[in-house]
Formats: sequence, structure tokens, C-alpha cells
Amino acid sequence: MEDCLAKKMEITVSEAEKRTGRNAVNMQETYTAYLIETRAVESQSEGQCAPVDSLWRRYSEFELLRNYLSATYPHIVVPPLPEKRADFVWHKLSADNMDPDFVERRRIGLENFLLRVASHPVLCQDKIFYSFLTQEGGWKEIVNETGFQLKVITVIVCLMTAVTQKYSNKHLSGCLRFTELKHYSDELQSVISHLLRVRARVADRLYGVYKVHGNYGRVFSEWSAIEKEMGDGLQSAGHHMDVYAASIDDILEEEEHYADQLKEYLFYAEALRAVCRKHELMQYDLEMAAQDLTSKKQQCEELATGTVRTFSLKGMTSKLFGQETPEQREAKIKVLEEQIQEGEEQLKSKNLEGRDFVKSAWADIERFKEQKNHDLKEALISYAVMQISMCKKGIQVWTNAKECFSKM
Amino acid sequence: AAGAPKPLPSSGPKSLREMPHPLATSSSEEMGPALTPSPDLLLPRSIADKDLSLPNGTPVDTSSPASSSSLLNRLQLDDDLDGETRDLFVTVDDPKKHVCTMETYITYRVTTKTTRAEFDLPEYSVRRRYQDFDWLRNKLEESQPTHLIPPLPEKFVVKGVVDRFSEEFVETRRKALDKFLKRITDHPVLSFNEHFNVFLTAKDLNAYKKQGMALLSKMGESVKYVTGGYKLRSRPLEFAAIGEYLDTFSLKLGTIDRIAQRIIKEQLEYLVELREYGPVYSTWGGLEVELSEPLEGVSACIGNCCTALEELSEDMTEDFLPVLREYILYSESMKNVLKKRDQVQAEYEAKLEAVALKKEDRPKVPTDVEKCQDRVECFNADLKADMERWQNNKRQDFRQLLMGMADKNIQYYEKCLTAWESIIPLLQDKPEAK
Repeated sequence: MEDCLAKKMEITVSEAEKRTGRNAVNMQETYTAYLIETRAVESQSEGQCAPVDSLWRRYSEFELLRNYLSATYPHIVVPPLPEKRADFVWHKLSADNMDPDFVERRRIGLENFLLRVASHPVLCQDKIFYSFLTQEGGWKEIVNETGFQLKVITVIVCLMTAVTQKYSNKHLSGCLRFTELKHYSDELQSVISHLLRVRARVADRLYGVYKVHGNYGRVFSEWSAIEKEMGDGLQSAGHHMDVYAASIDDILEEEEHYADQLKEYLFYAEALRAVCRKHELMQYDLEMAAQDLTSKKQQCEELATGTVRTFSLKGMTSKLFGQETPEQREAKIKVLEEQIQEGEEQLKSKNLEGRDFVKSAWADIERFKEQKNHDLKEALISYAVMQISMCKKGIQVWTNAKECFSKM
Repeated sequence: AAGAPKPLPSSGPKSLREMPHPLATSSSEEMGPALTPSPDLLLPRSIADKDLSLPNGTPVDTSSPASSSSLLNRLQLDDDLDGETRDLFVTVDDPKKHVCTMETYITYRVTTKTTRAEFDLPEYSVRRRYQDFDWLRNKLEESQPTHLIPPLPEKFVVKGVVDRFSEEFVETRRKALDKFLKRITDHPVLSFNEHFNVFLTAKDLNAYKKQGMALLSKMGESVKYVTGGYKLRSRPLEFAAIGEYLDTFSLKLGTIDRIAQRIIKEQLEYLVELREYGPVYSTWGGLEVELSEPLEGVSACIGNCCTALEELSEDMTEDFLPVLREYILYSESMKNVLKKRDQVQAEYEAKLEAVALKKEDRPKVPTDVEKCQDRVECFNADLKADMERWQNNKRQDFRQLLMGMADKNIQYYEKCLTAWESIIPLLQDKPEAK
């Protein structure tokens, strides 16, 4: 990790700004732009303050970057972007993309994304990524010039073909690891989604419990007005009830960060799945190529020996309408032999590609696993710390209230 | 004219005069020098007079030496009997279910320990059911109409909604019945009431009840208090203030009751979600290898918080809400006593007016008008004294109640805190190289 970009360069997404502009169909739209600031790290150690470079990017440009990275490095578990639309919201949170809280959490999420890419041993060296951070104008053109969209299309076509052919990975041999991984990523997505949904409901209910206590504040105040000795105690206790009711807002806002950490790994599961899918498609491609080669070899053999072993339309028609001339047959055999040679070379390179892919993919998957275990542990610890803080606040407030009651 | 002191139903061979009881007297003329009222405490002569009765003719219970009289109340220097001077202790416990052919019901053991002479024995233990408490309360209301009688827990429960025989319900009721008797025990007048004595001591209460009913029917009186039909022009300021206070007080209590119920409801809904939340961590733990233990730990932790929350809600339902409701009932019965007082005053004022209109010889005020005046003044005095006592008890009761509520919440958070703190080391644990 010595040469990873994150060590050389300080990257922050420091601001978010509302903009209006014209979109592709010349309609006016409002969007948020994010300020990316970068600063070289090395010169700082010399006591100099390096200049900060900055440029503005909007969410769609981040998406473009990520799509490029996914297509260009299919064997890498590419870090995910923060969610496009607010999901798993509990009632107080807004689902509006323009909501300042949402924008703020997205800003943090985008910064996190850039830092993840910058600290990845492979991705950080990508030139397009570097220009994303440093080159304001003309970046889109550069990305498009890489022709990565073609790769995306190829993948999609392959996928559709595989689907129509009802290809199942039962055909794969020695790919148990990937099957298991795919299964794991599916389960992970499912369990984290469930967790986030229930957490949102839990937050909603907790909000209700705290807020109703605010009513005590009001009624204690009203009651204290008709009391002589009890009045002061009631009044001050009521104040603490108000404090209690208000405290939930900060508590739940902090918890949103935990939810965001979970969401990152929800989307990471998707990225993991993408790698598995790529592997599946490569295997499919390989098998198709192998099958094609086998059938060509068979055809060649039949032509050479004159025996028909497999059913083919050509074979039938030639039987029905008479055999070919020896010259025609020779020509066919030659074409086939050329194709077979090509096919064998292709198969060899595909096999090599496949093995390379498995090797590098698995290396990144191991890296990802370690990162995931570390990050999620940290997330759970910070969640526990949040709960502890909430409990301590609760004890404090009720102890204060108890003291007020004791003075009644 | 003062006669010999009337013997009490269960008093021993000693006569009242021989007993060094500070409140022992049946007429002002029999009071010893130590108990002579000071000149500024001018009181009508008819204190403890047998003729003292209510407009509806029901005789006021004067069989106890401390019958309703302001003199006696004022003589008592310390209204609240502290542990030193207390001579009567009553407890309600040990609920038992009885299954008979006709019905199933619960009885409670009522234990009495006393040094009072009004009791033959120093200790009693009897079994009573709710009906018996209800009977007692009615008797007290009848016989001590100028005093505030403590409330009983609600009589009727909607069958099917609340289980009358569940442990929680029975325990809640037991506590309320215990409180009821303790409040009577602490009252300087009510605790000497004859019916109270019988309630605490009689083996067969039903026989006594029937006796009482017979007596009443002999006199041809209805049990219910009949309003004289007199209209009061205006309530004296202090009683008007009490009335207003009680109105606002019961309103506020009603609001607090609703808030508390709402909180419990919200907590239970929160609990439902938590119960789904915890297990998801466990499911996730099943997927993982290194994260398995931490995730299981979090799941277990949330489970512990669920248990703590359940306990909090239960406590609030069983201990907090019933006491609130008791005080609302208390306020209602107190307002009724205020109305009765108004009636007594109204009758007096009406009779006074009638006399004025008749233009009779003024120097001699007719005796029945005098009696009305006595009644009003006694009622006012009793009520004021009881109100003071009630205010003080109320303050202590609510202090205890609200501190209890705060305590329960503190305990809940402490349980959760312990749970979360205990898994921090588990989460931070580095797995050993396998």
C-alpha cells in the first residue's frame, strides 16, 4: 500500500452547493454539486502548506466514474457509491434528495467513496480516477474515449444470452468458491436490507416514546401552579422531561451514521455479486467456445471420414440431395481446420484469461473480506458506544428528575 | 346534662374515666383540668351530644371517645402519629382464591396489631374479600359524613379484558386495599370507628352486616345520603378554593394518566420492533465467520434490553397507574363531601332566614337553628382538618410515586447500560490465529 494514492494526497469532499442548469434535453433542473479538494501530502512535512486544488462534481459524474471502474476492473470489488435516493427512512427523516441532512450524509458518503478508491492497491493507480480528482473540464470526454461503455454492453449482451440459454452455473466445475460467494452476497444483501428496515421502524418507535414524555413537562408545569409546597419540585422536574424529549433528535441523527455504514456494505454486496457474475459469464463464454470447437472438430472428422455421427441439417440435405464433390469437401475441411486452429488459440487465451481473473479476483476478495470484517466490527463498536451514551443520558435525566421530585 | 360515659361495645371492665386516654371524654363537662379548652376555643356545648345528627336524621356515630369534634382535633398537637405514638397497625396480604359452587373470589388476610383498649386482643387475623372492604367504606361514609374517606380500587373490571385472578391484578388490588386500611388507621377519628373495629376483628362479618341492615331498616332510613334540597347561596371562600383546587387537580391527574398510558403503549410498540431487530443480527452472525460472535453478542444484548423494557412497562402499569387513579377517585369523593357540607350550610341559612322572617323575639334563637349552626361549624372544622391531612399525605404519596417512576426508568437504563458495556470487550476482541 506504499504507493497508494491516499497516502500521497489528501482528498476531501468539503462542500455541497445547490445549482440550477440545463440538462441534456435543455430542461431546467436543480442539482447538487460537491466540491472535491485535493492537496499533496508530501510537501506538508517540509513545513510548507501545499496549495489546495479543487473542482466541483455532481453525483452523476461520480456514477460515471464508478461505472468506468466496474467495467475496467471486473475482477475488483469496486467500492459503492452512497445511495442515489434516500431509502430505509423513518418518518422524521426526509426522503427528499434536496433535504440538507440527506445532502450532508451524501457528501460524507462521496468522500468515503473517493478515499476507498484512493486506498485500493489497484484502483488508485487508474488515470481516469486521477483526472476525476484533478481535471475539471473535459473529463467526461476522456472517460467516454476509453470505450468502457462497450465493455458494459458486452457484459449485458453476454448476460442476456446466458439467460436465454438458461445457463446455470451447475455446469461450472471447480468454481464452488464463486458459487458460495454469490450465495453469500445474496444472503448478505437480504440480511442487511432486513436489518435496515427494522432499524428504521425501531427508530420511529423510539422517537415516539421520547417525544410523549414532553407532555409531562407541560402538565407538571400546569399542575405546579395550583400547588404550594410541591410546586417547585414539579416545575423543575417538568423541565427535565422536556430535556429528555428533546434529546432523541441528536441520538437518532448519530444513529444515521451507523445506518450509512451498514448501507455501504449492502451496496458492497452488490459489487461482490458483480464479480461473481463476471466470473460466471467468463465461464459461460469459455464453455461456449469449447463447445463450438468440439463441434467444429467433429464436423471436420465427419467430412474427412465420410461418416455421419451427429445429426446435422447439412448432413441430412447432402444425404437427400446427393453428396458433395471431393473438391467441395476438401475446401470445407480446410476452412474448418483454419477455424479450429483459431478456436484453439482463442480457447487457450480464454482459459488463461479465466485463470488470471480467478487469481486476481480472489486476491481482491480476500482483501475485501478483511476490510469488511474490520469495518463492520468498528461499526458495531461505535453502535454500542452510541447506545451506552444514550443510556447514560437517560440515567442522568431521570436522576435529575428524581432529585426534583424528592424536593416536593 | 352529662351522664356516665357510655361503655363501648368491646371495652373491658375499666370505665372510660379510669383510662388515661387523652381523647377520652363524652361531654365537655367531664373533661379534667388538663383538657379544659382555652377560652379562645369557644365551642358549642353540644359537642359529642347524642343529638348531633345529620339533616336526614341518621345519628352520627358517637360511641367512640374521639367522635367527630373539632375540639378533639385541635387538642391533638401532632396530627401525624409518628412511630412512637402509633398504637394500631394493619396489614393486608396473603391473597387466596376460593372456588365455590356459586362463585369464585379472592380473600385477603387482614392482620391487626394494637395496644388500644377498644380492642379485646392485641392481635387479630381475619380474612376479607373486596365486598367487605366496600361495605366498610359505605359504612364509614354513612357514619362519618363530615370526613374524607379514602378511596377503594375500582370495583368493576371488564371481564375478558382484565383477568381478575391474574397475579398482577390481585397484587395491584392488594396494595390498594392495604393503602386504604392504612389511611383509615392513620386517621384520628376514622380509626376509632366502630365499623372499622368490627371489620378488623369479627370472625363472622356477614352476621354483623345483617345486624346493621336490620337496625337501619328499623329506623326506616335509606342508606344513601339524601340531599335536603336546600340551595346554597355561596360557598365560603376557603371551601370554594378547595373545590377549585380539586377540579384542577383531578383534571391534571387525568392528563397524567393519559400520558402515562400513551407512553406505555409506545414502549410496547417499540418493544415489538426490538423483538424483531435483535434476531436479525443473529441471522447475520450465522452468515459470517469472524463476525459471528460480535453479531451474536449484539443480538443477545438487544434481547436483554427487551427484557428490561418489558419490566419497566409492567411496573408502570402495576404500580404507577393504579395510584393515579386512586387519587382521581379520592378527589371525586372529596368533592361530594364538599357538596354535603354545602347542603348542611344551606339548611342552616334557610332556617335562619325563616326565623328572621317570622319576626319572633330575637334574643332567644330557636334550638334547631342552633343545632344547624353546630352542624355547619363541626362539618367545616372536620373538613378543614381532613383537608390539611390530605394535602400532606398527598404530597408524600406523590413524592414517593414520582420518585418511584424516576427510579424505574433509571433501573431500566442501568440494565441496558450494563448489557451494552459488557459486549464492548467482545466486539473489540481480536480473533486468535487459527
